[in-house]
Amino acid sequence: MRWLIRLFRKRKIEHQLDSELRFHIEQRTADLIANGVTPTEARRHALIEFGGIERAKEECREARGWSFAEDTWRDICYGVRMLRKSPGFTTVAVLTLALGIGANTAIFSVVDAAFLSSLPVRDPGRLVVLQWRAHEGPRASNMSGYGDCGRVGGSQSTSGCSFSYPMYAQIRARRSVFAQAIAFAGAGQLDLSGNGPASIVQGRLVSGNFFGTLGVRAVIGRLIEPSDDRTGAAPVVVLSYRLWQSAFGGSPSVIGRSIRLNNVVFTIVGVADPRFAGITPGSLYDLWVPLSQTTPLRVAWVSHSRHDPGNWWLVIVGRLKTGVSLSQAQAAVSLLFRNDMLHGAKPLFTAQADPRIVLLRAREGLTGGRAYYEDPLLVLMLSVGIVLLIACANVAGLTLARSASRQKEMAVRLALGAGPLRIARQLLSENLLLAALGGLIGFLFAYWGVHAFISMEHSQLRVSPDLRILGFTAAISVLTGILAGSAPAFRGPRVDLVPSLKEGGGGFPGGARPRGRWFSAGNALVVAQVALAVVLLAGAGLLIRTLENLESLNPGFDTKSVLLFGVDPALLGYNASRTESLYAQLQQRLAALPGVASVGYSTRALLSHSLSETSVYIEGQPGKSRNVDILGTGLGFFSTLRIPLVAGREFDSADFARADAAAAAREADKSLPPPISSHTFLSPREPPSASSKVSALISVLVNEAFVRQFLGKRNPLGVTIGEDKNGNWEIVGVVGDAKYSNLRRAVHPTVYVPLAGGGAHFELRTAVSPESLIPAVRGVVEHVDPELPLFGMKTQTQTIQQLLSSQRLFSQLLGFFAFLALLLACLGLYGLLSYEVARRTREIGIRMALGAQRSSVFRLVVGEGLALALVGGAIGIAVSLGVTRYLGSLLYGVRPGNPAILIGVVALITLVAALACYVPARKAMRVDPNVALRQE
Amino acid sequence: MNEEKAAILKGTLDMLILKIVALGPIHGYAISQRIQQISKDYFRLQQGSLYPALHSLENRGLLAADWRATDTGREAKFYKLTPKGRKHLEAEMESWERTAQAVALILRTAQ
Repeated sequence: MRWLIRLFRKRKIEHQLDSELRFHIEQRTADLIANGVTPTEARRHALIEFGGIERAKEECREARGWSFAEDTWRDICYGVRMLRKSPGFTTVAVLTLALGIGANTAIFSVVDAAFLSSLPVRDPGRLVVLQWRAHEGPRASNMSGYGDCGRVGGSQSTSGCSFSYPMYAQIRARRSVFAQAIAFAGAGQLDLSGNGPASIVQGRLVSGNFFGTLGVRAVIGRLIEPSDDRTGAAPVVVLSYRLWQSAFGGSPSVIGRSIRLNNVVFTIVGVADPRFAGITPGSLYDLWVPLSQTTPLRVAWVSHSRHDPGNWWLVIVGRLKTGVSLSQAQAAVSLLFRNDMLHGAKPLFTAQADPRIVLLRAREGLTGGRAYYEDPLLVLMLSVGIVLLIACANVAGLTLARSASRQKEMAVRLALGAGPLRIARQLLSENLLLAALGGLIGFLFAYWGVHAFISMEHSQLRVSPDLRILGFTAAISVLTGILAGSAPAFRGPRVDLVPSLKEGGGGFPGGARPRGRWFSAGNALVVAQVALAVVLLAGAGLLIRTLENLESLNPGFDTKSVLLFGVDPALLGYNASRTESLYAQLQQRLAALPGVASVGYSTRALLSHSLSETSVYIEGQPGKSRNVDILGTGLGFFSTLRIPLVAGREFDSADFARADAAAAAREADKSLPPPISSHTFLSPREPPSASSKVSALISVLVNEAFVRQFLGKRNPLGVTIGEDKNGNWEIVGVVGDAKYSNLRRAVHPTVYVPLAGGGAHFELRTAVSPESLIPAVRGVVEHVDPELPLFGMKTQTQTIQQLLSSQRLFSQLLGFFAFLALLLACLGLYGLLSYEVARRTREIGIRMALGAQRSSVFRLVVGEGLALALVGGAIGIAVSLGVTRYLGSLLYGVRPGNPAILIGVVALITLVAALACYVPARKAMRVDPNVALRQE
Repeated sequence: MNEEKAAILKGTLDMLILKIVALGPIHGYAISQRIQQISKDYFRLQQGSLYPALHSLENRGLLAADWRATDTGREAKFYKLTPKGRKHLEAEMESWERTAQAVALILRTAQ
């Protein structure tokens, strides 16, 4: 700390030095006067004896030595002075760096929020997620997941994070491994009523120790406790802070209030901490209820088989005991799992399958939706890194040009005795100063940028500038300063003293330079900038083309003027036959609305990111099950969406009657095949026993892809297929291929079955603007059943917009960064050429005096600029061919190395480079030989 | 006019200052007077060059300084020896003695 104190005591030290020396002289004067010398003479004599006072002072200061801090302070003061002397350079350099640093900070803060921030719970490092692995899938009757740890695979999946309730109970009871083990599952969409109009909320089923183990606190009231999870406990619910604010106005009086979820009365006992919206990053839940309420809530895919060891539906998270390592815990849990799976009451694996458990740290295991934006974010990180590199090269180029014009200053300083290291340090600190200013402004850019990004995306990420982000910005600012400053700093001192001092203004310093200029540092920097910009432009070009391809894609049905909405009467306890009459009534009344052309319905809305898959056996192809997409459709689905019928017939009401009868039989048998929430993929391994009892064949339709892939030339009509080997589905028609869950996914073989029971999405083909019908549609549904909530009301065009929104944002961001890169690179080119023209004014003057035409001077400059741009462009194309290969999975309908895009990029860069050359070239052309030669 | 006065041998000024300060706290002017007096005006000392030496010694921690009143009541900067300075002085004096003896020996025996 001594240096710091000395820095601030500088004035005091100066003052003391002054009085010490004055004391000496006055004392000497007094002594001489005492010896009889006259006062004037005495003082004169004392001063002569002493010698130069200022020199003595300077030597004293020198003797004390300059501390590092004082040196740095001097550097900063000097740097500020130098930068203020050339405001143009400073502004350009600071803004360039601010753009580079700001872009990096913005993207980093999104990455930080998505990947690096820790879970909002106590001691997250000790939390582990259980994942099972095996060589083949289990004979579980049901497997469901909720987007917590990646996809739950199809029927052939050999790993997963879902477990049965009995397994959870065993693991929880084994206290030697985990201090606590919690379990949770999605409750899907719940119908919330008793608080104004009925609405749909997202719920979670959690074990009683969930909040206690995670260490989450309540804002008001209490959270779910183990006693709430006992059988027969009173139904309680904990609200998320968000729902409490939005639906209950944040009123403290909600504690103790009753609400109805799926028509079951629940008591609100508390509100969770606002920072906790779920344990999986990016997930947002509205409320939590105890696992014991699964059955009353009629959560369709578990309610009947909550304790069935074959129903795997719970995610298990354990808190490691102190002193137990991850591998110890893994071995113990794995053994438990293996024993139960192979030798338990109901063996679900064979020994060959080698079932085992892997423990993943909660942060790595609970990925949530992360997988969907991992790649785009990585690409964005790389591109802002490139932008920053270009910015660095740009500022390095500017500094280089400036340091060349400051050669005389450097020479003077060297001549006066400054060491080369001292000068390098000076140049470096000027650049660090620039970078610090750039970092400051960049941080503001990033702050605004990220907020614009969040509000545009309605993102669920919580991004806020924190210490880590500030640290990141500071670190890249320093790095930038060093990168941008090092080239000139180490080149600066290599100044030949004599010619620089002799040189007048801007002749050709170091007369030997004109040859071999091609490899000058300035040229190399510009070539590098152009090359990097080309790489970004090529990448952006590919992604923009991808977006265009997706936007102009024909999904196989008419997406214009379609209004969608969903209802789920099963939540209110409707059975299959009541559901069918409800749908018939709704369809009839909706079709009667003025402006509605036709009405259809289906289990899922198309292009809404939701999907069901199953596997089927095909008649005549025994022992071989095929993975297919499956969609339940109601009357009028195909005609409303204008999906063409290729062969056979559409469903008629008899088909629905048979399907309903089968569904009713299954309901009676209490083994309802579970509907599926989004991101959930089911594989009913043990088909419902009831299906074999139903003798009547159910009519199904398939798409052309199904016929192409599985039936070939065989006539598809009349072929029976089924989810088990004695198939009870008969193909009665073939329809055109249509995209199912999203635009990117290829059309898979699809089976369309008659919708029987469960929720549905209605599709309305309208003759007027679809939005204008929304109030009327709400009125119809309310009239039919006031308790029935509507959800997901939007137009088909909107669903497509939503599918593409992140793609669009991604392409736009990358396009923006590429544009920025192009701009910076051309600014670099412009700067270099301007400097060259200024430096060579005299040479140009001589050329003209010797008879060179103005046009040839113009060509000289433009030629040099274009040559640099083309060399940069060629290198950039080569690099981008190598790099854009990794974009593969993000592209659609366009391949890396697309010649049209590469040619476009080269044309663009040439055009912009020509513009950048134009101004300096004009300047060169206007050089007046008389003035140029007389300049010295 | 000062031809008979010798310049202080390089490196010995520090030792002389330390030796004088060792006698008790003293200010810069008094040090310069002492050197003149004791050496009977033999050394030619540019008084201004004393101070950089003092500051350097202080900076190296061999001298400590504080401000106090002189006999005449004026504030002056008084220097005193630190323990480190005392050790340094002893070492310097010893090495000086040895050097001087060696030089004298050579001069004598080489005759």
